[in-house]
Amino acid sequence: MTKEKKKILVANRGEIAIRIIRAIQELGFEAVAVYEKPDARSLHIRLAHESVLLGDGPRCDYLNIEKIIRAAQAVGAQAIHPGYGFLAENPYFAKCCEDAGLIFIGPTSKVIADLGNKVVARQIMADAGIPMVPGTSNLSQGRKGLDEALAFAAAHGYPVMLKATAGGGGRGIRRVDSDEQMTSQIPTARAEALAAFGDDSVYLEKLVINPKHVEVQILADNHGRTLHLGTRDCSIQRRNQKLIEIAPSMVGKPALLEEICRAAVKAAKAAGYTNAGTVEFLIDRDYNYYFMEINTRIQVEHTVTEMITGIDIVRNQIKLAFGEPLAITQEDVRPRGHAIELRINAEDPKNNFMPEGGKQVLVYRSPGGFGVRLDGIVYQGYEIPEVYDSLLVKMTVHGFTWNETVNRCRRCLHNFVIAGPKTTIPFYMNIVEEPDFIAGDFDTSYLETHPQLFYYDEDKSDVSKLSKFIAEIHHRKHNPFSS
Amino acid sequence: MERIYQGETPAEVTRRLRQAKGYYITNTARDMSQSDYKNRILLHTDLLAAPSRERAGYFSLEITGGASIHVDLLRKQVDPFVKLQLMRQAMPTTMFQTLCRGVNLFGYRPYPQNVIRLTVREFAPYVDVWRTFDFLNYVPNMRAVFEEVALAGKINEPCICFSTGPEHTDEFYVGKVREILDVTGPDIILGIKNHGGLGTPKRIGQLVDALKQNFPDLSVHYHGHNTDGNDIGRVVAAVLHGATIIDASDAAFTGFYGPPPVLTIIQTLKDEGYEAIGIDEDAIIETSDTLTSQRPYYDQFESQIRGFQPTVQTHKLPGGAMGSSLEQAAKGGFLDKVPEILNKELPRVQRELGNYWSVTPGSQILWTTAVANVLSGERYGNPSGDLKNLLLGKYGPFPFYQPEEWIYQKVLGDDWRHVLETEGGLHENPDVDLAQEKAELHEKMGSEPNNQQLVLYLQHPKDAIAFFKFQEEYGMVHVLPPSIFFKRGGFEIGESMYFTDPQGKEHIVEFGPSPVDDTGVTRVFMNVDHYQRVYNFQPERQTSQNNQASVKLSKEEILDLASAGDVRAPFSGAVYEITVKEGQEVLKGDRLVVMEAMKMQTPILSEVTGIVTGIAVKTGGNLHTGDRILKIDLV
Repeated sequence: MTKEKKKILVANRGEIAIRIIRAIQELGFEAVAVYEKPDARSLHIRLAHESVLLGDGPRCDYLNIEKIIRAAQAVGAQAIHPGYGFLAENPYFAKCCEDAGLIFIGPTSKVIADLGNKVVARQIMADAGIPMVPGTSNLSQGRKGLDEALAFAAAHGYPVMLKATAGGGGRGIRRVDSDEQMTSQIPTARAEALAAFGDDSVYLEKLVINPKHVEVQILADNHGRTLHLGTRDCSIQRRNQKLIEIAPSMVGKPALLEEICRAAVKAAKAAGYTNAGTVEFLIDRDYNYYFMEINTRIQVEHTVTEMITGIDIVRNQIKLAFGEPLAITQEDVRPRGHAIELRINAEDPKNNFMPEGGKQVLVYRSPGGFGVRLDGIVYQGYEIPEVYDSLLVKMTVHGFTWNETVNRCRRCLHNFVIAGPKTTIPFYMNIVEEPDFIAGDFDTSYLETHPQLFYYDEDKSDVSKLSKFIAEIHHRKHNPFSS
Repeated sequence: MERIYQGETPAEVTRRLRQAKGYYITNTARDMSQSDYKNRILLHTDLLAAPSRERAGYFSLEITGGASIHVDLLRKQVDPFVKLQLMRQAMPTTMFQTLCRGVNLFGYRPYPQNVIRLTVREFAPYVDVWRTFDFLNYVPNMRAVFEEVALAGKINEPCICFSTGPEHTDEFYVGKVREILDVTGPDIILGIKNHGGLGTPKRIGQLVDALKQNFPDLSVHYHGHNTDGNDIGRVVAAVLHGATIIDASDAAFTGFYGPPPVLTIIQTLKDEGYEAIGIDEDAIIETSDTLTSQRPYYDQFESQIRGFQPTVQTHKLPGGAMGSSLEQAAKGGFLDKVPEILNKELPRVQRELGNYWSVTPGSQILWTTAVANVLSGERYGNPSGDLKNLLLGKYGPFPFYQPEEWIYQKVLGDDWRHVLETEGGLHENPDVDLAQEKAELHEKMGSEPNNQQLVLYLQHPKDAIAFFKFQEEYGMVHVLPPSIFFKRGGFEIGESMYFTDPQGKEHIVEFGPSPVDDTGVTRVFMNVDHYQRVYNFQPERQTSQNNQASVKLSKEEILDLASAGDVRAPFSGAVYEITVKEGQEVLKGDRLVVMEAMKMQTPILSEVTGIVTGIAVKTGGNLHTGDRILKIDLV
């Protein structure tokens, strides 16, 4: 890489913007933040070298390709890092960057487009011989499509999943259990897909019941080399949104995981993949594994892989995007120990994880010590945005053994104090005490099958309540208990 | 002789008491707190004293009962059951004692049988010795408690309430004890409840002597108050004549109306050749050394009038009611009338109302009546509901004689004979539907109550709910030391305080500035364990019911306003009854509302003649001193 000082625009907000800004700064480059007005106080702006106000938002300006490219050009940035969410997997955005002579930190627009189309992606993987959940291509329109669907269901049995071809991130998926449902669901699914993704294509997949969600982190340079950084397990989810991710997978079958990793590399190569990506698989109860999709972005849970491999994925993303060859070989990747990431959200788990938008973080006190990593946007005084996500901070802990890692997690949760909004912390406190989790035994049905996790005292902290009382005595000069 | 330890059976305890060579001591911490500190001594302080009190070797520690349960909830914000649990942890071998008002339990009015039984059952696991009394010495009123205590395997200590006067003869009391023994059987301790500290040492000696002559196997426990400064004399006389257990308290906290200091009694009786069984004098001295540093925090709760009151022999106000009565007089602005009330009116009312025992709730009736008689100028013109109930016999029969007919007429009206005939007599309160009460409590609390919470709710519905809500919001505030809990006027910037949370972990609080912003919001900055916390306070608004800025008014200002027809609350309390209507014409001295504070109902009388307008209160509403009650347009 040349010695000249590069400038990279971070087209995102929240904790991932900070994560990327840190990597840019560690490379000796300059980071440019962009923001919408509701984010004017955000920490990511404070940390960047410079910042550009995109507009009033909310969300629309972070999604405004033209404004972002114009901002990059105005500040003289050479590259754009899209983070996750917003425009990260929008092939048109990648294409616009390419056309504007800006480096898009991610795979090419063509690869994003191919892999973003689930049916094309399935075709590529089928051709490469990657095991896949039985499924259809895009269903035809009208009666013909329904016949195709009913025939598929007859051949493979219910339940099946009806998926939007352009969907992703857990959205645009519905379960179908009968012919009647199929008949009624297809038109609804199409209408929704059109509204959400601008494309009404849908297809079917056989539903794998209560699988484990295992994914493989991939790094690929522009010079034909692809390697993997091992597995992650993201089975603990609510409504298809991940809450806890671990690395490596606890499936306990090294040969199987090795095979999955090799399949992931093969899949990435088949797709012509460059930069960092994630190949997602399902593992069923009989230890069959199936390709699900490739996520063409940095993922929230990349931290667990970084902790066990010692490899900075975001730093590699940037270097690869600037055309550098991979500086490591597959043999250099030696995962060590276990890592757990907990997404600490300002949400009420008891109330269906309802976000606590509008509330202020009155106290923020984070844990520290050996093997603890925090990636957050939160600070004392932070107001939970009503218009963006409710992720406050990701806590990633690393330990030599699984047991040590779980115990470290528990210790850190007890050291964490966040007062103001409700958070997922007390819920996680229950998880790290729960025997199945401690045994490393969980799949995507974990939350449903462990309803006891939702029983906890809202504010276990006596010191919070008592402090409030002391503040009242202090403030009110008249003390009702002293008269 | 060995001390008696917690956990021994009633039969074993009474057997050992009968054989005792010497005497045992009960540390009456609860009564000391109630009599001299308005019941406000905190659990925090009792826990500081616990290790040395445990080693002191008392027969028992009286730590609950009386008015303390209500005050725990209302003023100290501590769960009376949690208090007992924590005290038990700190004092595993000492028996705990309660004071139970029989059918009136720990409250002020008779309760249904099933409430009494449930209450005893819930408290019994924590309370070893049950001192039970009835202010009319009416034994049937105590029966349910006796039965439940026996069922729970705990020790019954039935009391005869003691007073003086021509009717209060040894024969009378011996008869009462026989009545009690007929109900309870022999394995009890008999309490002499000298709540006023009445009679001379000689008189107490005679009474104990008479009891021992008639019931040689009965162990007598003497309880007295030092109101006249002479209870040590009475205690000594009681022991010399055969009492086996006596009441006293720690010297560091002794005042004027509570029990006498324990060490003085030990020293005096030692010279008489009597040994205090199981007692470690060093531990008693250590307790007072520990408590000495705490006493200044309680200065504010000591009585408005200090000094011994030898006149108690005339007015007979019990030690446990001295503090609250004088507080009421101070808050009501009639401290100047107190000598007249105590020395003239109260003795007169006592004689007129049958010379019964001036103890809760009977003492409140006597006091309230005497106060109303003096303040209104018309004797028995403003009778309280409780006085009516007394005359109707709702508490039980008069022990010696009935009041004269003119009193019935004044209190119950001209058709008093009819009222007495139709409404009079002792009717057992019908059982309440406990499941339904529990459901109601569940709804009010927002969570499933346990039986302990139900018991508190059944006795003090409003205050228990307020306490449960308070605790949910602020947690276990009983861990706070008095230096924080009683702080008035706020802390200094830079000042730091420590407290230990319920898990035993110490925390440090440092106080920062409290700037006020443009909108009037105060931001209170505090460092807790070195992390900053900020608490926002809206500008103070009216918290009581009449939505009007509560202005701090002095007693004089309240009186001035009252004589202009603007009637304000003379003290903080609840509206018990509104006796006038909007537009009604009232005369000077007419009763407007009745307020209730602590256990006393106080009528608020009109200072002027006029028309009632703008009633700003509702029955049951809470008022702070100076809050508007109503207006009277002068005519």
